[in-house]
Amino acid sequence: MNRNLSRRTLLRLALGTGILAGGAVIYKQTESVGLDKWLRWMLRGQTARLASPTRVALATVPSYDADLLGAIRALWRDANAPNLENARVVLKPNLVDSIPGRPCFTAPQVTRALIQFLRDEIQVKSVVVAEGTTFRRDPHAILLETGYREMLTQERIEFVDLNYDDLVKIPLRGGYAKMDFLFMARTVVEADALISLPKLKTHHWTRISGSIKNLFGIVPGVKYGFPKNTLHIHGIDAFLAELLDSLPTPKRFALVDGIVGLQGDGPLFGTPVATGALLGGGDFLAVDATCARLMGFDPAQIEILAFMAWAGLGQIEAAKIELRGASLDELQKRYEPAPRV
Amino acid sequence: MSRALEFLRASQNADGGWGYKNGGMSFVEPTAAALLAFSLDANSNTQVQRARAFLKTLQRQDGGWGIAAPDDESGWMTAWAVWALASHEPAAAERGVGWLLQNAGIRVADQKQVEGVKNVLHIDATITGWAWQPGDAAWIFPTALSLLALHAQNVREHPRVQESIQFLLDRAISTGGWNIGNPFMVTGSLPPTVENTALALMALDAFGIENETTRRAQNVLAQENFTHTAFEWAWRAWYWKTIHAPLERARATLETLQRADGSFDGNVFTTALVALTFDI
Repeated sequence: MNRNLSRRTLLRLALGTGILAGGAVIYKQTESVGLDKWLRWMLRGQTARLASPTRVALATVPSYDADLLGAIRALWRDANAPNLENARVVLKPNLVDSIPGRPCFTAPQVTRALIQFLRDEIQVKSVVVAEGTTFRRDPHAILLETGYREMLTQERIEFVDLNYDDLVKIPLRGGYAKMDFLFMARTVVEADALISLPKLKTHHWTRISGSIKNLFGIVPGVKYGFPKNTLHIHGIDAFLAELLDSLPTPKRFALVDGIVGLQGDGPLFGTPVATGALLGGGDFLAVDATCARLMGFDPAQIEILAFMAWAGLGQIEAAKIELRGASLDELQKRYEPAPRV
Repeated sequence: MSRALEFLRASQNADGGWGYKNGGMSFVEPTAAALLAFSLDANSNTQVQRARAFLKTLQRQDGGWGIAAPDDESGWMTAWAVWALASHEPAAAERGVGWLLQNAGIRVADQKQVEGVKNVLHIDATITGWAWQPGDAAWIFPTALSLLALHAQNVREHPRVQESIQFLLDRAISTGGWNIGNPFMVTGSLPPTVENTALALMALDAFGIENETTRRAQNVLAQENFTHTAFEWAWRAWYWKTIHAPLERARATLETLQRADGSFDGNVFTTALVALTFDI
């Protein structure tokens, strides 16, 4: 019997060992979520790489006294925003809290300009401002302190407290957070369009807080607690991926208040940065990747954005984001990152 | 304040419960608060009976309550239901107590994690209270509420009670009062909130705890510029009622905040809190 291995046998053995080792690595990597889900996310991510670039628009807005309406008009056009004529629209600003000297919430001037634009120029069917606050149960105190109460009264716009809205059970499509369903506020579920209106800021859990993190406010605090910590326990990245993937509103858009951003210890205790920018788009991930670049960060280094891009929930690569309007290079700042917790 | 009661009567749902808003889905919390308020009124027996029946219907097999009918997991609103049913439905309340005593917030044992949490949040993570949902950390509101529910059901000496009192004292803000759960976050002190401060004080008062922490919190609650909404005034007034403090100023302020329909902010829960305070 020939005890020397032939070259062919050796190659076969090497190939077999390679396949087994590769399989073991994939098994280990996918053990916690299951191979089928991992493959689905990976394939969707690879498919997204072949898609045409998504559009994000920027506008230079030096202050809250500038022509916000004009900036939103240009941005809406440049971003190729969805047609919202006759739509029931929910505006979701970030009203996390009100702390003197800390620009941690979306400025009411931006929300007011968007309301006027949607109502008077787009002619939506209805528009409400909605939020489910996280640190305080009483949104009225925050509305009062942030200037929202006065603005909403003047504009005759209803505020919906998403923490106390009727519950709708939404099946989760992604499987990222090991949850089968999520309770969501009826106002959001039944709307034709959701516009996420975040503040441009850093965040000590998610590195940045943009249009996706802002979605935390649409789940009810009475179920998930104040500050909705149960959802952090499911893995904040995974849970936000679920929210983005399972949003029931057929149309969506993000408009970010980056006129004065917040750097350092976000979401609450950071310091102001005059950035002079509004930005918007329909792909929340692309909008948030652009937010990261605007703050001087590499979106590929932000785990939550990198994971969602890998899973095909949107674009973060510069080559896949078609920027329109003002120049990102001219607006870009160097934000102090949030401390790692 | 009788208009508040009229608003509550008109907003009771066909199932006997109340939503947070008039006509909204029935939840356990506003139902329990309205039930406690109507229990003070001899002419509201119908509302009371229907509300009790609603709560009993929603009690789950494990003895706890979810937040509303579609919620199939027991959680923090169990404490509201126990409190509201304690005097007239002892069997249901006792099963609720069983659930409360079996469920606690996360208790951290790993020393490294304990030190990390101490650094970032300035709290002792080895002490726990009650969570909003099973599997979560403990927070001020569900802990204080559970203590009050246990007190209403005459559970006074249980180790969970003693630990939860320590939990409240540990989470107090050094300058006075409580917020949702931690007095500090990464680089900044979190300010107190009215509902957490008032409820924690009510719980500690029920168990006879009086010390420098409670005195500081009382001072915070008495500050003129601290509260300016109906929700915040309602909580403050409810606490003052429990310690027999004067209520004239709270009443006068709340009257200016009452809407034409008799409600406060159109919110059933807030309106029930006001009704609870003024013995209507």
